[in-house]
Amino acid sequence: MTKQIVSQEALSHRLLRKTLHGSGVKFALFWIGSLIICAVFAPFLANSMPLVMSKAGSISFPVLTYLTTEDLAVLAAFFTILLLWLAPLKFSFKVNLALFVAVIAAVVVLASLFLKPPKLVIYDDFRTPSYTEVDWRIMPPIPYAPQDYLRSYGGTGLEAPLSAEAANQERLHLMGTEENGADVLSRMIHASRIALSIGLVATSISMVLGIIIGGLMGYFSGIVDMLGMRLVEIFEAIPTLFLLLTFVAFFGSSLYMMMVIIGVTSWSGYARYIRAEFLKLRRQDYVQAAVASGLPLHSILFRHMLPNGVAPLLVAASFGVASAILAEATLSFLGLGLVDDPSWGQMLNQSVTSASFNWWMAVFPGGAIFLTVFAYTLIGEAFRDAIDPNLSREAGVQ
Amino acid sequence: MLTYLLRRLLLMIPTLLGITMVVFSVMAVSPGGVGAQSMVDSNMRPEQRKALTDYYNKRYGLDQPAPVQYLRWLNNISPIGFTQDDSGKYTDFSFTKGMNLGESFYYGRPVTEILGERIPITLLLNILTIPIIYIVAIAIGVKSATQRGTGFDVSSNMIMLALWSIPTMLLGVLLLGFFSSIQHWQWFPTAGISSRAAKDMTFMPHWGSLWDIGKLFLGMLVGTALAVWLSRWQERSLRAFLAGVFGLVAGVWMAQAHASFSLFAWIVLPILGAAILAGIGWMDYKPFRVIGLGCFGATLGILFALQFIHDGFVRGFLFDRIWHLVLPVLCLSLGASAALAKIIRSSLLENLNADYARTARAKGLDEKTVLWKHVFRNSLLPLITIIAGLLPSLLAGSLIVENIFSINGMGQLAIEAVKSRDRELVLSITWLSGFLTLIGYLIADFLYTLVDPRVTYD
Repeated sequence: MTKQIVSQEALSHRLLRKTLHGSGVKFALFWIGSLIICAVFAPFLANSMPLVMSKAGSISFPVLTYLTTEDLAVLAAFFTILLLWLAPLKFSFKVNLALFVAVIAAVVVLASLFLKPPKLVIYDDFRTPSYTEVDWRIMPPIPYAPQDYLRSYGGTGLEAPLSAEAANQERLHLMGTEENGADVLSRMIHASRIALSIGLVATSISMVLGIIIGGLMGYFSGIVDMLGMRLVEIFEAIPTLFLLLTFVAFFGSSLYMMMVIIGVTSWSGYARYIRAEFLKLRRQDYVQAAVASGLPLHSILFRHMLPNGVAPLLVAASFGVASAILAEATLSFLGLGLVDDPSWGQMLNQSVTSASFNWWMAVFPGGAIFLTVFAYTLIGEAFRDAIDPNLSREAGVQ
Repeated sequence: MLTYLLRRLLLMIPTLLGITMVVFSVMAVSPGGVGAQSMVDSNMRPEQRKALTDYYNKRYGLDQPAPVQYLRWLNNISPIGFTQDDSGKYTDFSFTKGMNLGESFYYGRPVTEILGERIPITLLLNILTIPIIYIVAIAIGVKSATQRGTGFDVSSNMIMLALWSIPTMLLGVLLLGFFSSIQHWQWFPTAGISSRAAKDMTFMPHWGSLWDIGKLFLGMLVGTALAVWLSRWQERSLRAFLAGVFGLVAGVWMAQAHASFSLFAWIVLPILGAAILAGIGWMDYKPFRVIGLGCFGATLGILFALQFIHDGFVRGFLFDRIWHLVLPVLCLSLGASAALAKIIRSSLLENLNADYARTARAKGLDEKTVLWKHVFRNSLLPLITIIAGLLPSLLAGSLIVENIFSINGMGQLAIEAVKSRDRELVLSITWLSGFLTLIGYLIADFLYTLVDPRVTYD
């Protein structure tokens, strides 16, 4: 006598529940969540200027005058997503997306019109009497900006975490300072922006490219498939890292360029997945029905076929984010990355290029790269186990 | 089969053309483009600079439009094509002119010569790394698949995932920083694959007296024997405890060997050593225990014996090379073996539950025969696919390792070529790595037919 249990749960809900089941995933989500908080609130967490100060009865917010358009855009994106998610409004995905894009665009336009942050910031000014001799002030938790080289303390240079020299000058560097004297923790917090944004944007670019090319290949098969597969083969036969190096060395390396480059060099895997999936799906009845009812191509491809082939792609995307972060770190490590902005890979590079080995310059940024990559890998792994229960650790049925 | 081989080889040509075309167009389209800027010193006077740039442009044909440059390069490397006369004009069509990879602008030497110097070094690294990767990965992958869901499976899966996510550069930087710097433990060399003095050494090492060799061997033998004896002990908790004590001693010794006194090292290292060795001693799986503790015992024995050895020891070329390669090979093999172990595990799991495995068990075959004679052979297919991708991926992986350990192999060459915008070198490396990848795919397809007779290409 076996009792048959019919699950009322929707597939997406069940997958989500199973994915979030393990403790590894919870740790991963916690780490990525705290990274997101760090990235969004970076100017308020680590900066040289006071958040609020009261001088002669008037209260001012020095940190706000130094916010850039990018800072505002990130903040706006964060709060829009939070609002759309928490608010009890049930919009469709399209409306949500449109609202999101509209808000970001409005903020960017308004900010670039009205926001005029000073081009050159002299951080040592914030340690002069006009900022210190006040009635009261609230400083950020880490009172050093990433590009604040602490010159007013007289060329600090490399200092180990919690070193005696710093303590004598009433400075506190939880992770030490780098070779120019900037606080490592502050640089780490600001660098989390680069890591997260590169991971997300580069993976989205490569996924969109992969879905379009792979979808067309799988749907049309025949000659389109043949040509497409040659293109995929070409991109797979060049080692990704070498291709990246070539692109970056010849095109320079601004943050946005780097996102595009990493995206353009890593779409081939997604194209393969989608092609294989679409080759299976194109003979299915519902696809034939969609074709017969004269739907336009994009509707058949993206509305009818894609939702049925997207699950394995999400697993690949999770690993893709990890490898995009790793790619950026590697490029920065090899000295081909961003020049002025701090990034984890570039900090790791500093630990090799300096004359002596300074463990805090290797352990903290390297550890951050490791944990982030590990977190995305754990999420991908858990998601794959949820989709394909054959390989999961728990042998029984859940 | 022969027609299949011919077809595959012919299909390689468009792909290779595509690869070089992609990379060449990246170079040509980029701001600045391919050019002689990197060779021209910016401190020169303008007319001098112009003269030098013109000279280089003329010499390497950089002043011509990009498609012409590409076609000329293509003509140079293809074994059949047009030949140039003395004035540089293309005149005759020849079938026997041979390949010419051109001359690197940056080095001012033929590319073939540079590649000839660099390839053996990278090859050496990879030849040492690949067997290590496979042995470790197969041991762990098979074990965790057969003991699915046990503590070993879950913990090894976590460790493998973590090892896989460790960026190679972090591992390299840490190994280099801690084990070859004067601030911590200066046990290994900092750069290169041989020291300058090694050129004058004999190949094999030699000692002041024969008795020293005896001491070394004795130390190693006693250390190994003790460790193996310990690892075969039946009593589990006592075994783990004794191994833990050994680990504690090793940790204390390491803290003592640290270049400066560090309280952190004195606290952490003994605990870490004790934990690792106790963990190995606690393990159920005998081969791992024996190998793990045995290696540890041998190292400890040798180190102990080294304290009693007199001067007059010359390392010799061989030992010098091995000594230089320990850290790079370790760095290359850790991440790759973790990834491979996961693949082996999942491919074995699929087959362990298959009907034929159940039949074999039902026939009364013991589990070992089922595993190695039936299941493992059927799980080889994904391993072969990995082999195909391994050669080019190790080439790319050694890019970072070679950069960290300053080894002048292909990886370093690739970085230098790209940074100096050296058209000939970049194209040759692209072409070569693409060719290796395609050959790897071809070899894998043939190995499929060997492993699985059902696969045919006729």
